Amino acid sequence: MVPAIYFDGRSTHATRVDAWRDGDTLRWRGADGTQEWSAPWITIEPSARVTGVPFTLHVRDGGHLQIDHDALPADWFPRHHLIERVVDRLERRWTVALAGIAVVVASLFVLFEFGLPWAADRVSAHLPRAVEQAMGKQSLDALEGRLLMPTALPAERQSHLQAVFRHFVGGMPGVPGVRLAFYGSKALGANAFALPGGTIVFTDALAEAVPDDDAFIAVMAHELGHQANHHMLRQVLRSSGVLIVASMLMGDVTSMGGVAAGIPMFLVDSHYSRGFEEDADRFAFRALASQGIDPEAFVHAMQALERAHPELKGQELRYASSHPLTDERIARAHEASLQFRAAKATADARAGR
Amino acid sequence: MHDETMASGVYLPELDVIPARDTREVHRLRFHGHAGDYFRIWIVNVALSLVTLGIYSAWATVRTRRYMYSNTTLGGSPFDYLARPVPILKGRLLTVLIFAIYAFAGRIAPALQAVAVLLVAGFMPWLIVKSMMFRARYSSWRGLRFYFSDDYAGAYKWYLGVYFLMGIPFLLILLVAMMGHPGFGMLLGFAAFTGIYPWIKGHQQAWVVDNHHFGGKSFSFDDAIGNYYGVYVKAAGVALVWFLPCIALFSTAAVLINKGNPQAFNPKMPSPYFILGVYAVMAPAYLGVWTFVHTRMTNLLYNQAQLGQYRFRSTLAYWPMLGLYLTNALAVLFTIGLALPWARIRTARYRAEHLEVIGEGDLSDFVRDAFAHGEIGATATEMDSLLGIDIGL
Repeated sequence: MVPAIYFDGRSTHATRVDAWRDGDTLRWRGADGTQEWSAPWITIEPSARVTGVPFTLHVRDGGHLQIDHDALPADWFPRHHLIERVVDRLERRWTVALAGIAVVVASLFVLFEFGLPWAADRVSAHLPRAVEQAMGKQSLDALEGRLLMPTALPAERQSHLQAVFRHFVGGMPGVPGVRLAFYGSKALGANAFALPGGTIVFTDALAEAVPDDDAFIAVMAHELGHQANHHMLRQVLRSSGVLIVASMLMGDVTSMGGVAAGIPMFLVDSHYSRGFEEDADRFAFRALASQGIDPEAFVHAMQALERAHPELKGQELRYASSHPLTDERIARAHEASLQFRAAKATADARAGR
Repeated sequence: MHDETMASGVYLPELDVIPARDTREVHRLRFHGHAGDYFRIWIVNVALSLVTLGIYSAWATVRTRRYMYSNTTLGGSPFDYLARPVPILKGRLLTVLIFAIYAFAGRIAPALQAVAVLLVAGFMPWLIVKSMMFRARYSSWRGLRFYFSDDYAGAYKWYLGVYFLMGIPFLLILLVAMMGHPGFGMLLGFAAFTGIYPWIKGHQQAWVVDNHHFGGKSFSFDDAIGNYYGVYVKAAGVALVWFLPCIALFSTAAVLINKGNPQAFNPKMPSPYFILGVYAVMAPAYLGVWTFVHTRMTNLLYNQAQLGQYRFRSTLAYWPMLGLYLTNALAVLFTIGLALPWARIRTARYRAEHLEVIGEGDLSDFVRDAFAHGEIGATATEMDSLLGIDIGL
């Protein structure tokens, strides 16, 4: 006999009953013994086990029996809610709860560090080129007239740089349809960035700051690296993904989504950018070397940039496409330069022989 | 919107005014949940949701919500949450898809996003109805389910139509400014706004309560609109009291800090410390005002509602609520979310302790009603939790 409370499903009247199993039938009887009910055992739908929550055994006619959490005999419904049975066992243990914290931290890390970037890259690989172009055009429209003003570079300087650019791109496979555009911009200072769809924006201040054509080409090559690897599109998809996943998590995990969602956004964004910067650098070093330009030119360009932004000296240099100027990057450029010189020396030696 | 407390509270009968027949018979709501139990349930379910890439999250939602509902009792009987995980999962997937399209649309063409926003705004009242129907349909007490009428016309009226009235203050400002009295225009616009906003909020509550049913009876609402003017006028006062000292404090601090700093303040690129400072100062002030409105509006909602011969009495008080929310926020912040179950449990306990059902009878006189009891899709309720629509409950 199990003490229970019976609700007939037709009213909110509560009846105290005793329930028991009688072969293939569930029977229950009013505490005063006057009334008795029964239902075939297989038609009973028990609720899943949750710590501290009473069981409800639903009867087919809409009524239910409420049985205290600890009062339901263990052998009554052994085959129901198998998954939730396991989950319930986990929920009872403090050791599992502690492990749960570790699992949450680890899976969030894997999700944001690897899962989302991977998924975003898959999507970006399958997006039509028109989408990328639309994105680039929209960004340029938004910037023109606000941050980007008409260029004040002399016409001959412009056409010289354009010619250098065309010559460089002409010798390089894998970057179709790129174009170079000059803009004056007080707010951005000496700056360059690659918009999706092929436009590379170069500010007047940067065009004046680069010491020579090789340094100009080095900056260009870096931006082409962003372009060739579709970095802007991938970055946008990644941050959209972070936004979506974070909101979904916050929806269930906390209602302070607005503030909290910004934190992973920021961390992830600045972090991914660094990975992309390295890709673009590598692309630039290779491209420079392949056209016989010493990657050391990249260091010159970076130093020129630093001179043009004296207020940022020592800090990470950031601009629209976020190019932190770190010792690491300079070291890598030096290394690329050494390799280039070694290769050149070998080639020269061979040619000389 | 994922606040289980609110969800379980919405469908309860509430009272403030003494019912027609004088009675002192009070049925208290009780909350029996334990933070420790709930923490273990919560963390295991969050972990499982993450490991299964969100698939399990629907089951997790059902389990955690069942815990909160079933631990809330009225007259000794628990409430029950009856939603099934699979419809919730479907709704959630559809919501992610819609939201992903929306998030990405803004990067390609803002016009597309604007269209999406308009579309969502147009569907919002429909969404609200569907969401309320879902919650009511899957909440039950003593074997009877709650029910929410599919009053779409009312939803469009009170959650979309009336907002066009809000254009009146702006038109006034514009008109009077064109006649050369911009100051007077602002004043007039503000007055019009004050006149309209509480009226809208009051009618929204009335609509929500009027459309809920339980046990063969409909909830009814006194809708004394005057009460809402009282709440919002006081809220304006509370806002002044909170924001003025906060702003004064912040400006003093900002000036002092900037003194030692030779670099001029650049409004286009404020330093992270400045932004952090603004948040640190504004968050408590915002919480102070929000808690006031929330507390008073919840009390009004229940205290003006009636179900059969039962009334409700909600006695949430401002300072305890503020203390509760403030300590919750700090605890959640400093434990990176781990204190969330504890915060939910103590909020639920406080709210249950301050809600009573008053009326002669032992609450056993409700009967199954004749309303249609079909299944209701979960998409609307999932969308509204993601968008965080404030229905004002």
